Amino acid sequence: MKFSSLISKTINSVLITALALMSVQMPAMADIVSTEQIATEQRTDVQREAVRSFLERGDVQAQLEARGVDAENASQRVDSLTASELAELSAQIDTLPAGEGAIGFVIGLIVIFMLLDIAGVTDVFPAI
Amino acid sequence: MQNYAQRIIAGLLVLMGLGGCMSAPQSTFLLENFQQASQQNSSFDLPSRLHLDSVSFFPQELYQCGPAALATVLNSSAVLVEPEELVAQVYVPARQGSLQIEMLAAARRYGRIAYLLPPSLEVLLSELVAGRPVLVMQNLGLERLPQWHYAVAVGYDFSTQEIILRSGVVKNYRTKLKTFERTWQRAEHWAVVLLSPGELAAHADEKAYFEAVSGFAREADEESLHAAYVAGLERWPASSTLGMGLGNLHYAKQRLDEAAQSYSTVLDHSPNYAAAHNNLAQVLLEQGAFQRAQLHAEMAVAIGGAFLESYKKTLATIKLKLAASASN
Repeated sequence: MKFSSLISKTINSVLITALALMSVQMPAMADIVSTEQIATEQRTDVQREAVRSFLERGDVQAQLEARGVDAENASQRVDSLTASELAELSAQIDTLPAGEGAIGFVIGLIVIFMLLDIAGVTDVFPAI
Repeated sequence: MQNYAQRIIAGLLVLMGLGGCMSAPQSTFLLENFQQASQQNSSFDLPSRLHLDSVSFFPQELYQCGPAALATVLNSSAVLVEPEELVAQVYVPARQGSLQIEMLAAARRYGRIAYLLPPSLEVLLSELVAGRPVLVMQNLGLERLPQWHYAVAVGYDFSTQEIILRSGVVKNYRTKLKTFERTWQRAEHWAVVLLSPGELAAHADEKAYFEAVSGFAREADEESLHAAYVAGLERWPASSTLGMGLGNLHYAKQRLDEAAQSYSTVLDHSPNYAAAHNNLAQVLLEQGAFQRAQLHAEMAVAIGGAFLESYKKTLATIKLKLAASASN
């Protein structure tokens, strides 16, 4: 009885030491923010700025209101757009021809993002 | 009758819409300003004409304008390479053309930073004034029936309202600025200059430069990348993105003191930049300065942001180390 408890104690201490050694020798998992991540974040910031200034245009606000969307509300919610939604919107804005006729499509996209919210598919515009 | 009038109005609106698409606002603006300045004998930002005549020319083979245009700008940046060598890297036979992203990647492979210019004709021309040919993409066809084309801008002449391109089989292809602008606009104003590591574009924009260098980081050797960060930080000493890039480069090479120095400099300029707190915490941890590491990790977690999960992990690791060192 005593002998077996001695064995188990020995095994235990060996195991504990081994585990302790393992944890010491495991390289510290480096959690630095990579340059790639910083570049992605900058890209998203630039896109968010583009969408926001698009929503601040007078003609855009008029169109939004014609569709029953409060322009100020929409502008505030740009913050909660996901990176891929921002990428899509800003790409659409970038390719807009100089003429004013094409903004309807982008506004359509914004409204779609809002509708998806109402349907519970996405959660971009929580207050609607 | 009313119906007829409505149709005419609709037709006019369509025509006006098309006119809007086909206008060349930037050329119009530049040319008007130039004329005004020359009438008043006042100086204009750009010289009236310019031609980088010494830029090499590689007449393109069928569809291979990509490799030819890329070789042109690479040679002009002192990288001696023939288009044939580039074909395998950028030419996609199935598309009978080259993708923009591959053009940028190939330039990086030859040790050059591909700097994307903003959609401004004036900026494009200023790069020419700085002696740098500009790689451009054009859509020579229509928006719905595109015919993509790469060319290299090498000069312009305001008096004839022309731009000069190395294009296809024509060495000095002169076309109206307005025509060029329309074809360029249909290719989303894509324009690129190549920079040697350490060189800045005439249009120096911090964000655009960091974007270019972070792309370069994937291909670059350490020395070139270091030169690129240092040049950027000389121009924008307070840039947190460039400072982080330099710090991360030092960290990757296990130069912990230099890495800590870079991150600290970022924090001097932007005390609330969470990522710098986090990365500095990681370096301090590896240097054995657990207390200071914990301080910075806690700052990162408190400030939060897109990488909060990483900050929490860093802090947890540091706390483990602290506990372990306290029990020893």
